[in-house]
Amino acid sequence: MQRAVSSLSFSPSVKVKLVSAGFQFTSDLLHLEPLQLSKEAGLSQQEALEVLQTVTRAGEGVSASLTALELLQKEEETRSIVTFSSQLDAALGGGFPIGKITEICGVPGVGKTQLCLQLAVDVQVPQCFGGVGGQVMYIDTEGSFLLERVIDMATAAVRHCSLLVEDDEQRVAMTTFTVETILSDIFLVRCNDYMELLAELHLLPDFLLNHPRVRLLVIDSVAFPFRQFDDLSQRTRLLQGLAQQLVAMAYRHHVAVVITNHMTTRLQGSQSQLVPALGENWGHAPTTRLLLQWAGSQRLAAILKSPGHVDTTIQYQISSDGFRDADQSELPQNKRPRTHANQSAASQPDS
Amino acid sequence: MVVLREGMCPGLDEGLVRDLRAADIKTVEDLVSSDIEELAQKCSVSYKALFAIRRVLLAQHTAFPVSGADLYEELLSSTAILSTGNPSLDKLLDSGLYTGEITELSGGPGSGKSQVCFGVAVHISYQLKQSVIYIDTTGGLTARRLLQMLQTETSNTEEQMEALQRIHIFRLFDIFSLLDCLYSLCSGGLQQASVGGGSAKAVIVDSVSAVISPLLGSKQNEGMSLMIQVAGILKTLAKDFNAAVLVTNHVTRSGSGEVQPGLGVSWSHIPRTRVLLERAEKATAVSRSSVRSATLIKSSRQPCHIKEEFDLQWWSRSQVEPSGKRKLDETDS
Ligand SMILES: Nc1ncnc2c1ncn2[C@@H]1O[C@H](COP(=O)(O)OP(=O)(O)OP(=O)(O)O)[C@@H](O)[C@H]1O
Ligand SMILES: [Mg+2]
Repeated sequence: MQRAVSSLSFSPSVKVKLVSAGFQFTSDLLHLEPLQLSKEAGLSQQEALEVLQTVTRAGEGVSASLTALELLQKEEETRSIVTFSSQLDAALGGGFPIGKITEICGVPGVGKTQLCLQLAVDVQVPQCFGGVGGQVMYIDTEGSFLLERVIDMATAAVRHCSLLVEDDEQRVAMTTFTVETILSDIFLVRCNDYMELLAELHLLPDFLLNHPRVRLLVIDSVAFPFRQFDDLSQRTRLLQGLAQQLVAMAYRHHVAVVITNHMTTRLQGSQSQLVPALGENWGHAPTTRLLLQWAGSQRLAAILKSPGHVDTTIQYQISSDGFRDADQSELPQNKRPRTHANQSAASQPDS
Repeated sequence: MVVLREGMCPGLDEGLVRDLRAADIKTVEDLVSSDIEELAQKCSVSYKALFAIRRVLLAQHTAFPVSGADLYEELLSSTAILSTGNPSLDKLLDSGLYTGEITELSGGPGSGKSQVCFGVAVHISYQLKQSVIYIDTTGGLTARRLLQMLQTETSNTEEQMEALQRIHIFRLFDIFSLLDCLYSLCSGGLQQASVGGGSAKAVIVDSVSAVISPLLGSKQNEGMSLMIQVAGILKTLAKDFNAAVLVTNHVTRSGSGEVQPGLGVSWSHIPRTRVLLERAEKATAVSRSSVRSATLIKSSRQPCHIKEEFDLQWWSRSQVEPSGKRKLDETDS
């Protein structure tokens, strides 16, 4: 089948020049020399060379595919980022998945940033303790990154692990798992508006190439820089492009992408409903969507979307040490299985 | 020689197998080489249903001796119907996905599009023993879930592994990589991807809108032209390779809350059949039921707007079911 030149990723001006010089299909270009093409189409030699390289590459056949069996093996080899909340891990099917996008949404103050900060520590837990021993790239768009909180959480995590030490490997690992190393393995970037965020994301693939130990990318939040936008369709388009960038980055650089989002009210007929912000289409971007919410005095985390697990709701608390399972003994009916208690709590209407 | 068993393909139930036996039709070959019209009368089933069964069996067992007349008929129609593996969806789609056509699933986040794609991939790979091309543009594919779905079909690990090996995955996150991939599938890749002759019977793209919509609506009309190219090559794959193409699309919501498939009018002509998936109940944001509704919004075979409900848990159901087919599988192994 003939492939149109316009279906290749050349800049529009190059495409126009090629087409107006009579090069409609890739087959028209196959046997040309760069110099010849540059003359005939009025391209610079560099452009002509790139065009021919792209054409050859596109003709080289099927890009790397793998079978589902190979993917399964890869998935089994890849650890997720485990948190200090075993219930959250279970609800997510073993923690925050590396190579995928997870969105945390919720109203202000419900604990989104706390969970992000917690994850920035969690991702660094050494492998011999079941962690992934990675670094983190933290993009703060709201100015809510609180160093004191990270220090608290890091201190708690170090204390927790040091109590678990059983063998020499773990003892050695603890020498490089300290509050200082934790802080120095967090790369923090502040972005003040959406242009800065887009620019940062543009540069990020190179950064990740040079920092192969980064296993987590946090953006807290995506919603804030995009909150005021006159041209909604442009916003949707920018966000959709951003989503694809994040998906590709998560996959290619083997990082878990964790982003936060606000809530907004959607009117439907006479009913209004609290839904994640940034429009419905943005909802396709995250692989997993986690909603943090209040139910009376309880904090609940609900999975709104997951590619492989039934949606569940769990209960959590935020202590001085960080994001933790809700304390069982404080529950009125601690004898009942956890999930039942939660389900009844969650099914009460939000007020 | 393959003996006809109930559940071998959709529509082949216990009663029908019994009736076929009574009419001296015991094996797949018998069925394939019999006169369908006469047989339909004998067994008091509809000609259409029996014909569909035969097509699926033909697709499953292409190496069987068939009469020249049958071959000719296959050539003329050259359509096979691939069951989705889910009875409700098969009903909606008039037996399943048709080869040679593009079928579209649209729906909002979490509406179950990817789950259906997984289920279809697993079913075609395991039940029909055909290769499947799965193009994932959103990073949503997880092989663990595929395995879980396979476990509802068989408990034999070897068969599970074989089925997983027949699913070929491409992960492409922009439109140019997608086009590269589709073009190379067209120029022979579809055959390469299959095991043991023939070419892949199904191509799944989940989702097309993820790579197209970032380009639409900008000043340069490049997005539109690229979309048309994607559409053209998907059609070629469907027609020239006689593959069933399944794509997913997002939705747009009008002011009054009405939901429509995304990508606009030009795209709406591309899929032959369009299905809208939605969460079954009203409260969409915080509900956790796994029931979904599927509405037929474009079809050339069935009345539009018929609606079926199905449960995503269908693909997690336990293997021990009060169905004769499961029992049969168990005694087999
Ligand atoms: N193992 C499972 N058992 C039951 N239901 C499940 C299971 N795994 C996922 N689900 C359900 O499927 C939903 C996700 O559906 P799916 O991934 O198909 O959505 P989608 O339509 O592809 O969304 P998007 O457009 O955002 O990709 C989950 O939120 C959950 O309700
Ligand atoms: Mg999906």
